[in-house]
Amino acid sequence: MLNSINPKSAIPIYVQIMEQIRRHVASGVLAPGDRLPSVRELAVQLLINPNTAARVYRDLERDGLLETRRGLGTFIAAGAAALAVSERRRIVQESVERLIDEARALGVSDETLLEFVQDALARQPEGRSSR
Amino acid sequence: MSKEPVSNGFAITTHSLTRRFGRKLALDSVSAHVPTGSIYGLMGPNGAGKTTFVRCLLNLLDPTAGSATVLGYDVVRDSVAVRRRIGHVAALQSLWEWMSVGDLADFMAGCYPRWNSDAVAAVLEPVGIEWEDKIQALSRGQRTLACLAVAIGHEPEVLLLDEALTGLDPISRREVLRNVIDVMHAGNRTVLIAGQDIADMERICDQVGFLVKGKLLWESTLEELKARVKRLRIEHPEAPPPEIPSDAFNVERAARQTEFTVRDFTPDRVTALAAPGRRVEVMDRSLEDIFIDLAGPQLRVAADLEAPR
Repeated sequence: MLNSINPKSAIPIYVQIMEQIRRHVASGVLAPGDRLPSVRELAVQLLINPNTAARVYRDLERDGLLETRRGLGTFIAAGAAALAVSERRRIVQESVERLIDEARALGVSDETLLEFVQDALARQPEGRSSR
Repeated sequence: MSKEPVSNGFAITTHSLTRRFGRKLALDSVSAHVPTGSIYGLMGPNGAGKTTFVRCLLNLLDPTAGSATVLGYDVVRDSVAVRRRIGHVAALQSLWEWMSVGDLADFMAGCYPRWNSDAVAAVLEPVGIEWEDKIQALSRGQRTLACLAVAIGHEPEVLLLDEALTGLDPISRREVLRNVIDVMHAGNRTVLIAGQDIADMERICDQVGFLVKGKLLWESTLEELKARVKRLRIEHPEAPPPEIPSDAFNVERAARQTEFTVRDFTPDRVTALAAPGRRVEVMDRSLEDIFIDLAGPQLRVAADLEAPR
């Protein structure tokens, strides 16, 4: 499930994995109580530094997304469901910000960009996704 | 043996380490710092001095000048203490061909005060290497794994892999890396990987050093390297081209676009280049891109100097 890291990116690997877990929680692929691979398992699966894997779990635990039960492993925390809503907003907002940057870099006016978005929304009624 | 020395959080440190072979400077005043608990990727083109560096740490070569410590022990003065704490795997290591893997393990076990046979077996078993197998009958990947197995029998705190990944098939490579992960996971161990397997290093190393022509051109965390080395692309369809900063390298100029790499990127750089009619884009670099950017110019200059007249 956690297998699409891009080591060539300038985004550190631990950030990429954290982002992936956050996305899976936001979309419901990972639900409270689900067990995650151990630090060693994750490191071997992705062939990454075990320190990197440990950092992912430490940081997500601090954020309340994961919890470690002694001797049992690392799990999606009970409170993660509440976080999922804000995660969804955050992920979409980040995409919107990237879109705005791109449009402005290409000299597209805000007004035109808004038209593009409205047209695209009209072409794809809710409940249907192009991907 | 002397009392436990202080290593200040660094498993390996070198101070202006220099090694000369006749007129050739294989190591030119290298001051490297390998943090304890890290996986350090020592990268460099062929002949950069990586193997000389490793051999100095093992005291297989004496430094011409400068010094090096492993876990606080001086590699020359305390070479026995260093060798007990260090494991070493080299590419195409010469092994006694007529020995079996078990003979080799027994021989190595005799060299150390303690030996963990289970740790050795844990490397060999998953890849189907038997104690009775003759070394001459092993494939290249299996030989590397056999070397790795006997290199960790004395439970070294520092593991040196010198081109150990080079030329391995994907399955053997994965096995070597899996074992590196297990070694790291077992405790506060340190691994130094010398080689050019950039894709693997980009995954597994947290520290990187670039060795080119015997000089250490860069040393930092991988994260810092990627944050600082950036390529700037300036599009100037309706404006004159920007002035190239003096520290820029790998400069490419076209009619309406200029590109160069900087090694100390800050957002101020973009502000400094901004002008009406110009668009500045900051591009991330992969470890391979950075390797070529940093090492390329040095190598080209060197090639020019060495070219016959």
